[in-house]
Amino acid sequence: MSTVQSDDRGPVVPMLECSGITMSFGGIPVLKGITFALEPGTVTALAGENGAGKSTLMKIASGQYRPDDGQVQVRGQHLPSGNAQAAYSLGVAIVPQELASIPEMMVYENLFIGRELKNGIGILDRRAMIQAAKGYLEEFGLETDPKSRMKTLPVGVRQIIEIIKATHRGARVLLLDEPTSAIAEREVARLAGIVRSLRDQGVAILFTTHKMEEIRAMADRVVVLRDGKLVSDTPLAAITDDGIVTAMIGRELDQLFPERPDAGTQSVLEVDSLVIAPGAEPVSFTVKSGEILGLAGLVGAGRTELIECIYGIRKPVSGTVRVSGTTLKPGAPLSSIARNLAIVPEDRKGAGAVLSMSVLDNATLPRIAAFSKFGVLNGRQRRDAVGTIMKSMRLKSNGLDQHLDNLSGGNQQKVVFGRWLTGPVDALLLDEPTRGVDVGARSEIYRIITELSSAGMAVVMASSDMPEILSLSHRAFVMRDLGVVGELDRAQLDSPTVQDTIFRLASGQNAAPVKDTMP
Amino acid sequence: MNTTIDVLPALQRRDWKELASGFLIRHIMVVVMLLIVAFFAYRSARFATPDNLTNILIAAAPFALIALGQTLVILTGGIDLSVGSVMAASAMAAAWTATNAGDSPMLPLVAAVVTGLLAGSINGLIVSKFEVPPFITTLGMLTLASGIAYVIGNGAPINGLPASFGSFANTQILGLTLPVILMIIAILVLAFVMKRTNYGLRVYAIGGNRLAAEIAGVRSRNILFSVYAISGVLAGLSGLMLASRVITGAPNLGQGYELDAIAAVVIGGASLMGGRGTVWGTAIGLLLIQTINNGLDLLLVPAYWQNVIKGVIIVAAVGVDVWAARRGRR
Repeated sequence: MSTVQSDDRGPVVPMLECSGITMSFGGIPVLKGITFALEPGTVTALAGENGAGKSTLMKIASGQYRPDDGQVQVRGQHLPSGNAQAAYSLGVAIVPQELASIPEMMVYENLFIGRELKNGIGILDRRAMIQAAKGYLEEFGLETDPKSRMKTLPVGVRQIIEIIKATHRGARVLLLDEPTSAIAEREVARLAGIVRSLRDQGVAILFTTHKMEEIRAMADRVVVLRDGKLVSDTPLAAITDDGIVTAMIGRELDQLFPERPDAGTQSVLEVDSLVIAPGAEPVSFTVKSGEILGLAGLVGAGRTELIECIYGIRKPVSGTVRVSGTTLKPGAPLSSIARNLAIVPEDRKGAGAVLSMSVLDNATLPRIAAFSKFGVLNGRQRRDAVGTIMKSMRLKSNGLDQHLDNLSGGNQQKVVFGRWLTGPVDALLLDEPTRGVDVGARSEIYRIITELSSAGMAVVMASSDMPEILSLSHRAFVMRDLGVVGELDRAQLDSPTVQDTIFRLASGQNAAPVKDTMP
Repeated sequence: MNTTIDVLPALQRRDWKELASGFLIRHIMVVVMLLIVAFFAYRSARFATPDNLTNILIAAAPFALIALGQTLVILTGGIDLSVGSVMAASAMAAAWTATNAGDSPMLPLVAAVVTGLLAGSINGLIVSKFEVPPFITTLGMLTLASGIAYVIGNGAPINGLPASFGSFANTQILGLTLPVILMIIAILVLAFVMKRTNYGLRVYAIGGNRLAAEIAGVRSRNILFSVYAISGVLAGLSGLMLASRVITGAPNLGQGYELDAIAAVVIGGASLMGGRGTVWGTAIGLLLIQTINNGLDLLLVPAYWQNVIKGVIIVAAVGVDVWAARRGRR
């Protein structure tokens, strides 16, 4: 594919063309010879599961990463490898998943940062900038005051402002990385409108997602990556939803997820009328030994909050948690650890690991008392214990003294997991256990989760990754508004309409045939 | 150790040259120190003598204790600006006790330690319990403790102290004065504590990532409180030693010492963001500053110029460290 007829402007060269892009991180191939092109005035969805290589491809296309092999051309011009500045001046803009706006500055300051308007004597012309910013915002249907602080705005609005920032500087290729992962439903609709209007102005847009509805709502064409390979590149009209899902998940699904043995019968984790926040519905459930309970729901539904309340990072309004019959002290992680409760938090860098410390020290921390006598650490004992566990985790590191900030996301996550396993764990709380983890390590983490549960642990796993919920859990809850709105058993999780059912429950369109746990 | 070796080709092809340069880069401050020592030894015949080494150690001792306390505080990501004033308040409290409680060395010691502990505990409480930023909290304590020091002496130094008051600084054991011995013990003990105990590991953990440490069961408030309390006690002891050397309680004693202590910690490779740094590093930083002071004195460099040179060397030393760290990471 090279040139197409477009309106009456004659043949056009592709806005962006990637050919034979290959890249690996730490020996693990992430992209294997990707070739595709973006035409002007089109919207292309880059679909694929977490870890398929979408974000890496975006970063290469925008010049942030240098590919191991292959090249990128922008409007027929060669993009020097790994040169973000060159990509920018050629008109390629990226709006990353984690927004790069400056929260303490005002909207118009963010819009004009780096190319501020100045008056004749070189002083900032704030009035002109505010005026211009107002125009841009209105053009995109925002009534936001240009003088409001960035941090006071919802994420969805900040994202649109980032898009404005990119396009009003003349970007002709717009790359949106997971633009909907953190925004509310009605903001998705507004984003779709903006994407369409930019397309009509001739901008080539590429966005990543793993949600079917968004592909349907926004894209003209869909490119599917699986495991670093381009497995499908078709106009949207020529492929069915099932076709896309099959391309995304493929036969890999069976290999990615290990067999799941039946759950035990002994109650291990008992949550009784736990109220997460004032006004929320109380949550009660029991997890048996060897059982994996999935928690599904949209961002902000309360999955993380529930897990934090159970563990004690957050103090619940009321209610109790028991592990193996013993009631935990609310809001006290130390008491939870003493009762053999373990957690792998959502935010690995912020809450999971101390990146400035070594593997050994990180792995010592939760069970520090077991490795010491009168407060003095037993070096040999902890080195042996941690070494054994990390070997069983198949940790890739330069020894136990390597600092965590030099490890890949997947290996950091293995440390955050493994540090609990030097002692007994009765119940394990997982919050997005594979976020930011590459495919190779992901299947290993699934293996670890399944092995731990079959060894008798009770597991609660919150995840936004649908295949993870469907293929790992014995039972799943759907959460909305800090409460549980639906429960799905094994048979329901295996039914072909389950994704639709979960989506309806999570978004509040209650019409699905599920047994409701609410009275 | 049975962990798998990662696929980093550069690390597998280690040769002698890389090992040697890696070693140099990791111990760059020792190299800088040796260069400075060599320079002074070359320029002054009196520099490299046992007597002069003793002088350097004696001068370093009062700084050593507060720099060690400062190391713990900085490792948690905090800072203690109050140590200089706490030294003065403790010295005045000790001197006042000595004039009013007869000729016993024990009571002034208790007075100094209690004053330091009290000031440090107040810092610790405000930082850990009320979560006031350490910079603000200890800036307040700097002013407060300095005020207390003047209040105790009614605005004047306390003179005419009993001879026993001088015993802290001037007693010699095995040819070394008490403060030097205390400095050596304090360095050894704290190096052990930070490297080999639960407490040390927890201090590093909350400095590296407080939330992650709390989730892993560290009671971060207790640890935070303790580092300020320890810093206070060490400042109290250090104030007493300084006053004892001249057998006078001076309310302006220790003024500005907090900055030299912070400089020593930072030269030693600690990050002001917390989580990185070592007791050995601080010891090197401390000796570096004292060696420069001593060497410049011997070369008869005027005092004001000494400050200019010292300022340049502090920034240059840390600059070299940052450069080496960046190279070492590559």
